[in-house]
Amino acid sequence: MDHREARTQLVDRRRGTLDAASRAALETHLAGCEACRHEDAADAELSKLIEERLPRRKAPASLRRSLEARWEPPKAPRAMRLARGFAAMAAGAALAVVVLFLFRPRPPPSEDPMLTEAVNDHLRVLYSEHPVEVQSGGIHQVKPWFEGRVDFAPVVPFAGDDDFPLQGGSIAYFLDRKAATFVFKRRLHLITLFVFRADGLPWPAIATVPVGDVRGTLESSRGFHTLLWRKGDLGYALVSDADPKDLETLAGKVADGG
Amino acid sequence: MLHLDAFPSYDAPVLREPVAPPLPRAAFEHLDALYRLARRLTGDDDEAEDLVQETFARAVDKRAQFVPGTNLRAWLFRILRNLYIDGWRRAKASPVRERLDDEDPAAEGTVGVEPLRGDEELERLRAVVADDIEAALRELSVDARTIVLLDLEGFTQEELAEVLGCNVGTVKSRLSRARAKLRELLREYAR
Repeated sequence: MDHREARTQLVDRRRGTLDAASRAALETHLAGCEACRHEDAADAELSKLIEERLPRRKAPASLRRSLEARWEPPKAPRAMRLARGFAAMAAGAALAVVVLFLFRPRPPPSEDPMLTEAVNDHLRVLYSEHPVEVQSGGIHQVKPWFEGRVDFAPVVPFAGDDDFPLQGGSIAYFLDRKAATFVFKRRLHLITLFVFRADGLPWPAIATVPVGDVRGTLESSRGFHTLLWRKGDLGYALVSDADPKDLETLAGKVADGG
Repeated sequence: MLHLDAFPSYDAPVLREPVAPPLPRAAFEHLDALYRLARRLTGDDDEAEDLVQETFARAVDKRAQFVPGTNLRAWLFRILRNLYIDGWRRAKASPVRERLDDEDPAAEGTVGVEPLRGDEELERLRAVVADDIEAALRELSVDARTIVLLDLEGFTQEELAEVLGCNVGTVKSRLSRARAKLRELLREYAR
């Protein structure tokens, strides 16, 4: 392996996307090449720098409004809507009498309550002035901080790494219970991990995504992706607008200890 | 029975104002990231808004070419990047000159053996501020800037290949060169 090839693979190596053979060849090269080791360290520093210091602008609200107004699905004109409305009301009233006798009223369909809660809690973290109450000096600093603050010991064997650095922790409420909250970063995205007691919650019936030796449920809402799984007595919810594959990778690390 | 609602464009042409066909709702989830790239390509708030508006308009025009189930995000960013490059090509004679990209490794940073700089480079990098990074990014070619910024947005190399219209191997080498060039520029800013 020459220097050019080695340097092309450094980013993949840090992100864990190199196959075993390429990784082995690269490690051999790095062991004997001080210049490429330096290149790796400097490139990692560059990632940290731009992720932490480059402003992350949002599109102006006026632009969003303008685009949504222009490209939203067309609505029927008011006169047409009213005419249709009256016709529908007449037909509907007759039909309703029949239907009421035939069917028990059911609550309106709603989003998975755990998904809704996870996204809401993640938004609270994003909008909080202090997203973490304890800054990360490593998992061994964050985990003891939860002692006495939650009524369980959060099992999170993953300490963070270059791809998913641990930012810190805080306490949140997940539905009716307290949750230990771990905040990770993936490039420019924050990923929140909520850990809580799993009993008595409306867990999704279908779980297909492998998370260590269990399976979880990946769902999306309002532009955020949520991966829910339970292991033993504890439940886990990972939420972010990062790529869903990143969530699966991080979940695997959280489940297996990296 | 014929349901008029199934043919929304025919059910009251006199009463209805012309309404543009919609985009998938998911397209709006990428608006912030599209704007960020547009802002860093154009270097100007108003131009960035125009570029994003044009991107959405083009996406609507070309929506028949998008295959549902394929990568909407990569498709939208490819449109934005191509629109910017088209505009750049038209404005080639303008005093603002930018490089698109080229395959010459020397154009985006050296990749041979460089002398070891020890901790000095790391110290310099740590000293740069946001304005330095913005300025250094502006000095990269269009595609180098695009690849660095979209990598930061979490694009996979397959997605980057789709946006840039090249293969994954080329993405890897371009990303490596672009990041090396960016570091080189930042070292200068930190002097």
